[in-house]
Amino acid sequence: MLSAGARSDSNIEVHRYYSGTVLIVAFLSLVLQAFLHKYGRWAELLDLPLLVTIYFGVSRRNPVTGMFLGAAIGLLQDAVGHAYPIGMYGIAKTSVGYVASSFGARIDTEHPVSRFGLVFLLFHFHQVVLAMTQRVLLNHPAPFFTLQLLVDSLVSAALAVILFALLDRLRRSS
Amino acid sequence: MPDILSRHRPLALLAGLILVQVLLLAFQIKREHDVRLVRYWAVQLLTPGERAGTWSFSKVSGIWSSYVGLRDTRSENQRLKTEVEQLRMRNRELESRAAEGQRLAVLMNFREAHPEAPMIAAQVIGASADPTSHILFINRGERDRIRRNLAVITADGVVGKIVEVFPSSAQVLLINDKESGVGALFADTRTHGVVKGSADSNPHMEYVQNDEKVQPGQTILTSGEDRIFPKDLSIGTVESAAAGNPFQVIRVKPAARLDRLEEVLVLMSQQELAPKRAEEASSALSSPQNRQMGASQTALPSAAAQKPPNRKSTVTGDANKSKPAASAAGAPQTAPPDNPPATVPNPPAPQR
Repeated sequence: MLSAGARSDSNIEVHRYYSGTVLIVAFLSLVLQAFLHKYGRWAELLDLPLLVTIYFGVSRRNPVTGMFLGAAIGLLQDAVGHAYPIGMYGIAKTSVGYVASSFGARIDTEHPVSRFGLVFLLFHFHQVVLAMTQRVLLNHPAPFFTLQLLVDSLVSAALAVILFALLDRLRRSS
Repeated sequence: MPDILSRHRPLALLAGLILVQVLLLAFQIKREHDVRLVRYWAVQLLTPGERAGTWSFSKVSGIWSSYVGLRDTRSENQRLKTEVEQLRMRNRELESRAAEGQRLAVLMNFREAHPEAPMIAAQVIGASADPTSHILFINRGERDRIRRNLAVITADGVVGKIVEVFPSSAQVLLINDKESGVGALFADTRTHGVVKGSADSNPHMEYVQNDEKVQPGQTILTSGEDRIFPKDLSIGTVESAAAGNPFQVIRVKPAARLDRLEEVLVLMSQQELAPKRAEEASSALSSPQNRQMGASQTALPSAAAQKPPNRKSTVTGDANKSKPAASAAGAPQTAPPDNPPATVPNPPAPQR
């Protein structure tokens, strides 16, 4: 389901990818994220699985597909890390996948500016969901917003513009 | 509901997916005291329900037990009240019988202790309607050979004498009646006098000179000179003594409880009562009620033995006949029985 492209019932264009593309990209984002964490604090600026979730959610424009993709990527991210119990990133990325797909079905997400803005907003949405989950379930006073998070979101949004352009090349021509 | 789910299928799926992951987290996260979050939530979720269930059940059971279950309580309460009343009456009856048994036992002991004196037990069946006269009715009469002027006593002391006899009952004039008079003497000094009824409930001992030393608590016995009461029966004790004109005013506390008489003994003759045998005296003294009687009885031999040579006053069997002047004139001072006493055969009196 994740590899094969599906056509939405609406008239909005749904991008299709080669078989296995979504799985491979998601897997690579997780591996790269784990790999980059070994090389300094600057890697914490990036959340590659989040960017992949947003990209495929926006491209597929199907909320159900987007939320399942987000759930799978988030749960895997929880599984490879030890910071949180399994499900923390899962919930956050499920929500992000759903919202990204919903946005993708309604607005133009091909323009770099709109992509920058969308990623910026979804980055903070992701952080809000993550903080709320931590506060409610773990009793951790996780912050909703900090200056560091603002910088992270800007960096991620800028990187997302480049990354999304690269990923656009993996689309199948219709 | 299914319509809403199908209409908002993506949202429902999102909620379900998040819920599954929240539950996944709840299974991993532990709260205080190492309790898993899912268990904590389950308890928090179920406890209000359980509490509400318990509250509802207690209310329902309370309503049931307070109202529905009490349908028959009124009739049961009425039945139990009736039963309690019956049991109380039965209890009173048994208590009365027990008290009567004790009193009769005292009389029996007394009678057995004095086999030489013929006597008959009688039950008090009534009293005078006139509050100023002290008269009793007993359930013995002519059929039981009761005659006028027979002495009536209890184990405690003198009660009175028979004044009227009917076929199956008799009238007893108590010693505290105004018309009554009993020949008496002090047990220790052997000074004679007459115990007569007075206006108050207690009799007085009259004709005792002012120079005679009389102390409260002194025992007063019958002197036997009235020819009604045998000698040395207990009449009572001195309650108070004061100088008077021309004789002392001595209030007497009767030995017998004249206001609570239920069973009495009628002496069928004036024969003196022999002192009790030691074992009989001890059995009679075993109950508190008999102690006073026992004390008076044990005083008998010594009192009988101490007859003073001089007698300072005379006695009569009837108050209006008892005059010191008559005694001085040597006239008969006592009212003899109308008929010779027909005694009930008893074993002969022991030799004193």
